[in-house]
Amino acid sequence: MTNDRPSGFANPWFQFVLNIIGVVVYELLLKAGAAASADPSKNWSWIGVNALASPLTWLAIAVIVVDLVIWLYILKYIPLSIAFPLSRTVDVLVPISCWLVLREIISPLRWCGIALVIVGLVIVAKPAAELEERL
Amino acid sequence: MTAVAIFFILLWLITFVTGQLLFKRAMDVSRTVGFRSRRTLSILSGGIVVMTISFCLNLGLLQRFDLSYLYPFQGSSIIIITLCAALILKERLTVRLMIGTLLITAGVVLVSMS
Repeated sequence: MTNDRPSGFANPWFQFVLNIIGVVVYELLLKAGAAASADPSKNWSWIGVNALASPLTWLAIAVIVVDLVIWLYILKYIPLSIAFPLSRTVDVLVPISCWLVLREIISPLRWCGIALVIVGLVIVAKPAAELEERL
Repeated sequence: MTAVAIFFILLWLITFVTGQLLFKRAMDVSRTVGFRSRRTLSILSGGIVVMTISFCLNLGLLQRFDLSYLYPFQGSSIIIITLCAALILKERLTVRLMIGTLLITAGVVLVSMS
């Protein structure tokens, strides 16, 4: 690790937040695109190419490309063993957003899962904070 | 779940993990020899090819299964990537990081089950 970490907009942790937002957006777009063009009767549909018939899939691909560039930038500064577990923040953001915005009901089991992910993220965040001190 | 489904889910998992490791390796190499060096670009290209295969497999799986059904498998990639980063990329793996990673994985599986 070197101490040439950029600041401001180029700060890898700021880019990390942008990356997570991108993941939430493209996951939803991908599912919508795949569902809109699904044809499981064809054997070759296992490789997913017929999903390309949906414009939503192409929009998702555009977001993925931007997100990939951001992710590569993040990996330049943060170890994969810290960056990847932390990137799973999306797994709590999506259901919590659904609960807050869409008023969807979250079952007690799902709340337990969300709580476990949050505790895990807090524990992983400590090595990330130590890394920040060394940067 | 059929044997074909298990095969494609495992193939997706392997390509996803390999792609992430290649991306990280490319970025590590870029810090020493530069981003435009042949070595960096060849590793990065390998990562992009593997990730493209993984992406297509993911689309195929999404057409057959709910996102919530596939999430436990995505969750298991967290542990596999963390372990591979320590074993292959020689990243420092602490007990704390491992416990945190296990909790995140368990949480992801619970969220998808509910």
